[in-house]
Amino acid sequence: MRNPLFTIATKDIRDATRDRFLAITTGFLVLAALTALIAGAIALSTDVATYDAAKSTLLALGKSADAIKPPEFYPMRLMRGAIEQIEIVGAAIAILIGFRAASAERGRQTLALILTRPVRRWQFTGGKIVAGIGLLAFGLAVVMGVCAMLLHLMSGIGLTGNDLGRMALVWAISVLYMASFFLASFLLTLHLSRPSTALLIAFSLWLVIVLIAPQIGDTMDPDNQVAGGVFKALSISRPDQLNIMKTYAGFEAVRNGIEVASITKHFERFTFAVLGIKATYTGLPLGPILTEKALDVLWIILATLGLTGLTLALPLNPKTLTQE
Amino acid sequence: MSSSMIAGQSVRLALRESTVLLMAGLFAALVLVSAWLGWQATGTVNRIYLDAASFLAGAGKPVPTNPVLDTSPLILMRNVSIYVILIGALSAIVIGNRLVALDRKAGVLPLIASRSTAPSAYANGKLAALLALVAGLFLVASAVGTATLLLLQGAVITAQMWVHLFTFFALSALYMMIFGLMALAATAAFNSESVGLLVPVTLWLAMTFILPALTLNLTPTAVLNPITALATPPDTSFFRLSGWALGPVSLAEHYGALSAGLLDYRPAEWVSRSLVPPLVSLIAAFGIAAALARRALIHLDPTAEGYDA
Repeated sequence: MRNPLFTIATKDIRDATRDRFLAITTGFLVLAALTALIAGAIALSTDVATYDAAKSTLLALGKSADAIKPPEFYPMRLMRGAIEQIEIVGAAIAILIGFRAASAERGRQTLALILTRPVRRWQFTGGKIVAGIGLLAFGLAVVMGVCAMLLHLMSGIGLTGNDLGRMALVWAISVLYMASFFLASFLLTLHLSRPSTALLIAFSLWLVIVLIAPQIGDTMDPDNQVAGGVFKALSISRPDQLNIMKTYAGFEAVRNGIEVASITKHFERFTFAVLGIKATYTGLPLGPILTEKALDVLWIILATLGLTGLTLALPLNPKTLTQE
Repeated sequence: MSSSMIAGQSVRLALRESTVLLMAGLFAALVLVSAWLGWQATGTVNRIYLDAASFLAGAGKPVPTNPVLDTSPLILMRNVSIYVILIGALSAIVIGNRLVALDRKAGVLPLIASRSTAPSAYANGKLAALLALVAGLFLVASAVGTATLLLLQGAVITAQMWVHLFTFFALSALYMMIFGLMALAATAAFNSESVGLLVPVTLWLAMTFILPALTLNLTPTAVLNPITALATPPDTSFFRLSGWALGPVSLAEHYGALSAGLLDYRPAEWVSRSLVPPLVSLIAAFGIAAALARRALIHLDPTAEGYDA
């Protein structure tokens, strides 16, 4: 017999490709990411067209075009919507893959059969984890590849090697991010008595971690309480704004604490910085960004490693795994 | 067996389910959190204004009016609309799924069919059970909302504002019912418990996060903020066409806009670009989902075997 871990991983991947599960989930994520990317590109092209029209009018009137600010065009910024779709829809898909990997052996008596062979229990779990993360990595590679190709074609100036390197880095961290949701769902489905309860608890966790915690942090941001921003409504300049906000340091610490309790916010902060989506990082070299965002990466790596360790360490209960 | 007996038994069974209680509890807790968030955020903006006013006066600059004073007290409840879109719709999906999946898994359908029960009585009973459970959730949400406005705000709430608030809760119940009905239909139509759950969840994901990107150029994070979700879409032929054509099915967008109107925070310049007006879209979606759910429940074969995870 080949390495059992490898055999189990191969079998899971084959199952996922055979029943079109992989194609459907990857297709859905590609659709979500591309929708966001194309909508952003169309909006940007409108800004460019508006600017060109205004510039032509000014020049025709014999005036200088310096009075109007040209729209900024950084192709990687168009990835914002796609990254947010990976954050939300990608995490939900990872939960489904984790649920599927564990529930496939339940109620069919296949685990008892597998364990009659010389397979250690950690090899069984390890094989499932390798297959699941492999599927996620493949799906994300397709998403990133399609996005990169589209950005290259739409931007007109093309992507540089540096841009592609940044996208590869974002792909790697996206795999780790989605792996943490896969592992949480896999763990729950393996150990809870009913798979459907495990799926619902995994989705409740997803709601709280991915949507609610960042939403609460975002809502508590005073600048999000008034359309266009409270400081803009009060005509207060950026330096004065920072001065006023100094007295709200405690409030900001609580707000930030709620946000960073979520792995999603760490993922967002890292990817937005690397791709230059957040204006303060646009055009900065990768080195300083990686140094500044090392804690965000560490958070994601530790969460994924912790869940992997827990999944491998918890003893399997064949009795639970024979229940539907 | 009468439909009322089936409805009563279904409600009792659903209330014994830990997953239903978990989602319902989470929803009620978040309505409470959202009320606190609204109060807290409004208070913070007010304090910032006072600080900014003294700063501007000290610098000899003109002091603009306080943006908080221009708002209605109902704005405190604005985050409830976001939690209805998120956890409310998911709770309804879980309730709809459990109402049928529990019967199918327990194998009670052949027993019900062996009594003199018309398939329509079973379908009506399940629809009534869903309505009762969603209405129950909204009784809790309304009580929390009312208590919040009475205790936290201290402002005068006019009769018209109360009407707006309760209309908002009724609209929210309608929105949740649409997803509950989708779950009833999918759980009855598919022979797998997981597929029955995943189909409405996928539709919910698409309506909440994908359609607003196409119709309004909203990123998923912007959808989750009641203020930014009302941003004006780019004035291009693409967004005009997509907003018009996809508008009728972009239900989260319609619910958000109607809620903003009822809670008095919708910008005056907001207009719907949809082919079908927002309220008509929601009512039509409710009607279609109810018809599909009833049809799937009536055609549910009580002797069918092989219902699995």
